[in-house]
Order: sequence, then C-alpha cells, then structure tokens
Amino acid sequence: MKKALIIFVSFLFFAQPALADDITEVDVFLKGKLDHVMKILQDKSLEKKERNDKIIEVIDGAFDFSTMAKLTLGKKYWPGMTGADRDRFTKLFVERLKASYLEKLDLYDNEKIIYRKPVQVKKKVRMMTELVSGDNKITMLYKLYKLKKAGWRVYDLELEGVSLITTYRSQFNEVLQNGTMNDLFAKLERPEGL
Amino acid sequence: MNGFDLVDITLPKNDRYNLLLLIAILLLMVSCAGAKKPILFDPMQPSPAIPLPVAQSQDIGLEDEFDDFSDEFEPLPDQKVYDPFSGYNRSMTSFNDKVFDWIIDPVSRGYNFIVPKGGRVAINRFFKNLFFPIRFVNNVLQLKYDKAVIETLRFTMNTTVGLLGFFDPAESWLNLEAYPEDFGQTLGFYGFGSGPHIVLPFLGPSNLRDFVGLVPDIYATPLTYIPDTGLAFGVESYRRLNIASLQLEEYKSLRRDALDLYTFLRDAYERNRTAKIKE
Repeated sequence: MKKALIIFVSFLFFAQPALADDITEVDVFLKGKLDHVMKILQDKSLEKKERNDKIIEVIDGAFDFSTMAKLTLGKKYWPGMTGADRDRFTKLFVERLKASYLEKLDLYDNEKIIYRKPVQVKKKVRMMTELVSGDNKITMLYKLYKLKKAGWRVYDLELEGVSLITTYRSQFNEVLQNGTMNDLFAKLERPEGL
Repeated sequence: MNGFDLVDITLPKNDRYNLLLLIAILLLMVSCAGAKKPILFDPMQPSPAIPLPVAQSQDIGLEDEFDDFSDEFEPLPDQKVYDPFSGYNRSMTSFNDKVFDWIIDPVSRGYNFIVPKGGRVAINRFFKNLFFPIRFVNNVLQLKYDKAVIETLRFTMNTTVGLLGFFDPAESWLNLEAYPEDFGQTLGFYGFGSGPHIVLPFLGPSNLRDFVGLVPDIYATPLTYIPDTGLAFGVESYRRLNIASLQLEEYKSLRRDALDLYTFLRDAYERNRTAKIKE
C-alpha cells in the first residue's frame, strides 16, 4: 500500500513537467483570460464604462502592450527614438489599440469562442480561436511568447489572416516615410473617421 | 464596400465573346506582370533585406528583443509599395466611403428596421447556397476534391432539408462547413501574382488578378442566367444590401482603426487574400 502510494506520488511528481509544457500553459492561460472577458461581456448589470475598465484590467495581464508598440515601429525606427518619444508613442498606440479592441468586442458580444489546440512555433505558441457570430465565424489567431518573470503574453493577433502588428507597421512606416514622428503623433491623436 | 464577394454583371449574349477575349488579354497581362515580379507588395515574397541604420541605442537588450521577432516581421521597406494606380485608387476609396455613408448605411439601417436580423441571416444563407457553383468549380480547379464533395453534400442537403438554403442543417447538424473559393484564389493557387491593387467602384478593394477572376465566376453565378438584365441587377443589388446590413458596424469599426483609410484597406485586403490562397 505504502509502495503504491510512493509510486503514485512520484508519478505525479514526474508527470508534472510533461503536463505543464508550453502548449498546456498557453491553453490554460489564454482560455482563462478570454473566458473572463466573455463573462464580463455577458454581465448585463455593468455600466459600459465599468465593463470596459474590467475588461482592460483582464487584457492588461494578457497582452504585452509595450512590446507590441516596439514591434510596430521595428528596428527601423525604435532604436533612433528618444525616450520621451518612445513613451509618448507607446501611450498613444496602446490607448488606440485598447479602444479598438473594446469596439470589436461590442460588435460580437454574446457570442461563443471556439478554442483550437495551441501550436508551438519555435519558442512561441500560437492559439487559433474562432469567434462565432450568427452564421459567421471570425478566426482570431493569438500569438504568445514567454517572458521570464511574467509568463505568457500575447504580442500579436491575426484577424482572418491579417496580423494586427503587420497592419500597424505598414501604416506607421507609410506615415514616417513621408513625414516625421510628430506627424505620426498627430495622426494617432486624431484618427481618421472620428 | 465588400471586396470579398463577387460582382455580378449580366451581359447580353453577343458581348460575352468580346469579354472572353478581354479575359484572355488581361490574363496575359497578369502573367507578364508575374514574370517580371516588380511587385513589392506581394506578402508571399519576402521584401529584400535593407540594411538598417545602426542606431546609437543605449538600450543594450533591445537588439536581442527584436531578434526574437525578426523571423516573423520582415524589416520595414524603405521603398514605396508598388501601387501604380494609387491616385485613382485613393479617389475611388473616398468615393466608396461616401457611398457607404450616404447610401449604404442609411438604406441598410432602414432595411434592418424592417427585417429582423434572423431574417437577414437566413436570406444571406439562401444566396450563399445559390452561389454554390462558384465554390464547387474553384475547389475542383484547385484540386481540393474533398472540399468539392463536401460543398456538393452541403448544397444537396441545404437545398432540400434546409428549405432552399434558408437554413443550414449541413453545418448545424453535420458540422459540414462551406469552403469559399473564387477564381481569383484559383489563379493565386496556380502562381499568378496579385498584380497592382485596384479599387472597384461600389465593390471596394481588389487587384488585377482578382478583378480578372471575377469574370469566370460571373459565368458560374446562377444570377447571371436570369434573362431580364434589370431584374438580375436588382437581385444582385439586393443581395449586396443584405450582406452590407449584416456588416455595417464592422466596416465602421475597421475604418476607425485606419491612420490612412486607403492604405489600410489595401493592405488588409491583400494580406487577407494571400492568407486565403495559402489555405
């Protein structure tokens, strides 16, 4: 009996690393975050402002916004920027990204998310999800990487095969090819169509 | 506003032969354009590596951090994107955007008020089922026989059990999904480059390859065979209005994401098409 127990316990112990591999970690992490967001969305007792604040709180712990900001300017622009410009850009970009994300959630509330099994790509992990909206399915591919301290974070999102980072990159590159960093700030502050 | 769907143009019989000639010429142009490969835009082709100015960065860890992602995001190009029609495209984008604000949006909202969402979704399903030949033909042309079979099963089941396609029992009961393919994707499948980007009036973003691809698809569209041209045009306009009515807010939200509406829609369209062709 005792032997069996030892074997059982040691089995649990050794099984741990295999269970807690990258794929499982991401699966648990992202599902947890997205389910939480869905739960907030479905709570109709919340005021919109309150609801948005709660959602932002959840996604702040899931997205690596500052790395996303860096990636959209890339090696071409980021290293040459002053610290103040970097901070200003990051602030404007992150605000915009969050606003856009909340707006997208408004389009698809009450819907269901289908989760696919995450896939490992080198050190990073991608997880395909499908947002079911009536007869439509919107594919959303979350791309995550692991930070040493904080753990897994989303650094890019592909909507129907179109990467958010790549889209912003070419938009910003286009502005910066024809103008200055201040032009970009002005555009970020006064988005077209608002 | 929706470039992902197909145009339907109904033609008198004798014009069809001229049209075929036009397709042949356009196809030749596309293949020539493909041979020279002047297109910087094609996301399938990695853009040429451009030596980047080495910055005096105090942030030592920064280079490493970018290197973690360098295999994923290509260096930003210094050249302008190959876009010979950008002037025309820009004006057409603003034109389409105005058409959206002044016509499509108000008309759709009136329509939404009359027809509840469930009804509009069912009407959308009906047209989707009717457009089965396009998906079938292009799946076959791309040698995706399993998907062509699934499409046929779907069409048979949805037309009968699904009451002319207003319902989709194939998906809801048997989990058989549709596999949308069009002739633009078929051309892409056989290696045709996208060619220059072209914004079509009312229909939105397209490119030379997809524009050429519209023509064979028109022949595979049942609406083309409605004898009365006016009626066919009316039905097609109605189909598009119904689609738009389901996507109004999506377009508005997308539009707010853009720093520059034209380049934003252009890039999103091209990347989405490339991703679809790879599927």
